[in-house]
Amino acid sequence: MHQTILLQPSYILHTRPYRDTSLLLEIFSRDHGRINAVARSARGPKSRFKGMLQQFVPLVLSWQGRTELMNLTVAESYGISHYLTGEALLCGIYLNELLMRLLHRHDAHPGLFAAYQQALIGLQQQQQQITLRLFEKRLLIELGYALQLDKDASTGMDIMLEQYYYFDPIQGLISCANHASKKNIFRGESLLALHYEELTDREHLRDAKRLLRLAVMSLLDNKPLKSRELFLYQLFPLKKQE
Amino acid sequence: MIFSPLIDQLIMALRCLPGVGPKSAQRMAFHILERERSSGLNLAKILETAIMQVKHCQRCRTLSETTLCNLCANLNRDQSLLCIVETPADVIAIEQTGSYRGYYFVLLGRLSPLDGIGPEELGLDQLLKNLTEHPPQEVILATNPTVEGEATAHYLAEIIKQRNINTSRIAHGVPLGGELEFVDGNTLARALTERSEV
Repeated sequence: MHQTILLQPSYILHTRPYRDTSLLLEIFSRDHGRINAVARSARGPKSRFKGMLQQFVPLVLSWQGRTELMNLTVAESYGISHYLTGEALLCGIYLNELLMRLLHRHDAHPGLFAAYQQALIGLQQQQQQITLRLFEKRLLIELGYALQLDKDASTGMDIMLEQYYYFDPIQGLISCANHASKKNIFRGESLLALHYEELTDREHLRDAKRLLRLAVMSLLDNKPLKSRELFLYQLFPLKKQE
Repeated sequence: MIFSPLIDQLIMALRCLPGVGPKSAQRMAFHILERERSSGLNLAKILETAIMQVKHCQRCRTLSETTLCNLCANLNRDQSLLCIVETPADVIAIEQTGSYRGYYFVLLGRLSPLDGIGPEELGLDQLLKNLTEHPPQEVILATNPTVEGEATAHYLAEIIKQRNINTSRIAHGVPLGGELEFVDGNTLARALTERSEV
């Protein structure tokens, strides 16, 4: 089926050189989800896309094609570009890797698109931790794996501030008595903070990170994220990571 | 098959070169066989010798058949500067400007976590060894202004700063002789945020 899409708000998640002067693009579009496209002669000296096909730049794109690989026809920048540097840039790469690994092709997620845009603004304002946590939470909701953060999964009772809960990626949160420092046990207070998205306390933020990592990694079949490895490398340069 | 097998093989082999499709490969093959037999033979010989002998410079990792490349072996260059680039072609580009007199280090790639290229692939242990043996006063990070290039520059800056060496990044901005009207928005925005005092 021949498809022509005109002026679709999109972001580029990743680019790869293709043939002599072309570029293979992974596109995250608002109404058509993740798309693979080729930008012909985008790397050539007279490219009409020059300097435009970059990650974290809001674009409107047009493409057409009948197979999996679309042909990019028009690219225009749209709105203010998110200028990420340093650590925020690495966080942005992490967001892109999550989207590339978890979204299916041609699956539209307009809500997630808005969340991604919001997250890039957050990263630009150097609020990495909160931004990443809220995006991860949103991502789980959009993919249909929303965390039930205010109810005990086994009894259906409300989550209590002082109680401890065990997180099981399949069942959810189950209250438990033992709060020994296990990596999948969380305090009710932290869970509710994430539920109401009021992550101001450092402790809450740390717990949210731990919880969301467990949830996201179970979706990724526990295969490690490359962009996270880069973070670890940065902390311990040139030591082989496990 | 239109041609005899050997000619076909030659055409196929020539197609490994960048920018050479079936038609140009065919032209090249016929040109060599019809008119330039001796130069063709010379090409074959040099190609073989070059592939066997050209390795990477032990110090800067650029392509060279000697253990130290010409630039690294030249003692008259400015010892206080080290410029880190992605590819040997970038070294040539900077050399041709004639405005840089220091030494180089070639990463032969850039960090690209999503393609599985991490710090180990970029020979950073060699870079750290160089920084210890010949510490420069300043390191210039001249990776490309792409997301991967920026990530690489950030990563390198973090580990080089730990050694108390000044680190700078090449400037981004409007091309000389260009007109603002035709410069893409992102470059212009960068040129404005990183403007310099006059």
